[in-house]
Amino acid sequence: MAIVTVSRGSYSRGKEVAEKVAARLDYTCVGREVILDASDRFNIPEVKLVRAIHDAPSILDRFSHGKQTYIAYMQCALARRARQDDMVYHGLAGHLLLKGVPHVLKVRIVRPLSERVADEMKRKGVGEREARSLILRDDEERRKWTQTLYGKDPWDASMYDLILRIHKLTVADAVDFICKAVGLEQFRATPEARRRIGDLSLACDVKAALVDQYFDVSVTSEFGNVLVFTKAGDRMAHKLEEKVKVLASEMEGIHNVEVHAGVPAPEDAV
Amino acid sequence: MSIVVVSSDSREKGREIAAKAAESLGYRYLGRELLETVARRHDVPREKLEEALDESPSLLGMSSKVRGRYLALVQMAALGELLGDDVVCHGLAAHLYVLGVSHVLRMRILADPEEEARRVADEKQVSLEKARKQVERRKKSSRKWSLDNYRIDESDPSHYDLVVSLSQLGADEAVKIVVQTLGYRKFEPMTYSVKCLRDAELAARVRVALVESFGTVEVRADGGRVVVETHALKREKRKKAENVKEVAGKVSGVDFVEVHVSTDVLRKAAESFR
Repeated sequence: MAIVTVSRGSYSRGKEVAEKVAARLDYTCVGREVILDASDRFNIPEVKLVRAIHDAPSILDRFSHGKQTYIAYMQCALARRARQDDMVYHGLAGHLLLKGVPHVLKVRIVRPLSERVADEMKRKGVGEREARSLILRDDEERRKWTQTLYGKDPWDASMYDLILRIHKLTVADAVDFICKAVGLEQFRATPEARRRIGDLSLACDVKAALVDQYFDVSVTSEFGNVLVFTKAGDRMAHKLEEKVKVLASEMEGIHNVEVHAGVPAPEDAV
Repeated sequence: MSIVVVSSDSREKGREIAAKAAESLGYRYLGRELLETVARRHDVPREKLEEALDESPSLLGMSSKVRGRYLALVQMAALGELLGDDVVCHGLAAHLYVLGVSHVLRMRILADPEEEARRVADEKQVSLEKARKQVERRKKSSRKWSLDNYRIDESDPSHYDLVVSLSQLGADEAVKIVVQTLGYRKFEPMTYSVKCLRDAELAARVRVALVESFGTVEVRADGGRVVVETHALKREKRKKAENVKEVAGKVSGVDFVEVHVSTDVLRKAAESFR
């Protein structure tokens, strides 16, 4: 079965769509759970992870690399959940965090700004001007986040398989579309698709184990053969090799591991 | 019955899906063939209409006045055809001027970039790398065209009811999605939405009548009442308003014309240097 990622802006009703799709297909609906998993596994306070996925990286973050570390932890937690298939994820950047997995249906839900503003006014009891500015600020924050970390614009339509506008189409219509698309052959979890998600999860595990000390590492895995790329010089690369060897003996599923220093990482690396 | 307006970053894919959707629905397909009729009816070269629809304004290209007239002619003809309902329209930029009509399904198709590059490489006998660059350049130019001529970014997904990427979903699935969507009641024509489309068509006819003599004009229609916005120098304002009223008043369906003339700042500045 498939994995569905639902990308959304605030008050776009994307969460509602995701929950209804999960209920109809009997899938697990995952949002905040990924943060909790990462928080438990890596012993990081939930609030820090929430900030990492919500706020765009500041100038200071570019030097401390804290945000990249937290995101690596979250990607690791998400990939682990995705290994079990039958999942609807409505958290941030699912379409980017699960890149290269063929049976992921990437959906974006959009809604006219005026309707989002009306909802914000009702919920927060603020005036139209303030509500509009809050939503636009939130959108901008998300745009910056994706652009800084992935070099992509979340509004770029080419990153999604399906974009649905909740206006003339209702939430129920959107749920219909997504459920029908999930039934298509190309979103079936074939053995090859399962292998790919397993490899992604393994690469994420390796990266999560290294990122704290070696923030610039990128990792790929194919059939359990793990390649670690780093921009670091020879001395650091040597230390990294030592660490990776220890990891390979401790971690399950790794057949072989190689470290490549000074080589640009391939596009599908995490 | 409803109307489907298909926009795409690949003309070939957009046309394929629009034609297939028309066939599945038993609707009429409205595409670039309409330019032949427009060219004959208004005695303009068809190639020039194509050029106005495809190429972004440039210093050495078509003048903005001529481009404006050609686009106004295409818009008028397309809106006239859309009044007939049961139409799937593609290739006439209708997604940029058929706005606020609830029984129109606005859809964007995104071709698979790799497949598109392979097609271009085959067609033009160029390397895949060169074809990729051409595809990318065409997308940018198309976006620029929509912004220059209609002040709408056609690549922005929020302008559409749904956007389907063909990277994972096939053309047949995209067609099925169109058919399914039109089954929703929201896309049934209502008295109000039909009136909105009629207003848009009347405004387009008035614009065609005015654009040749008066250059850039903005026209809105509500029933038989038409509002025209244009620019003129202070001393010419009254005369221009009278002339616009006279020409617009002769268009069939127009009962009343209101003209707003604002000061032409650019001409004023140009004259102050004389």
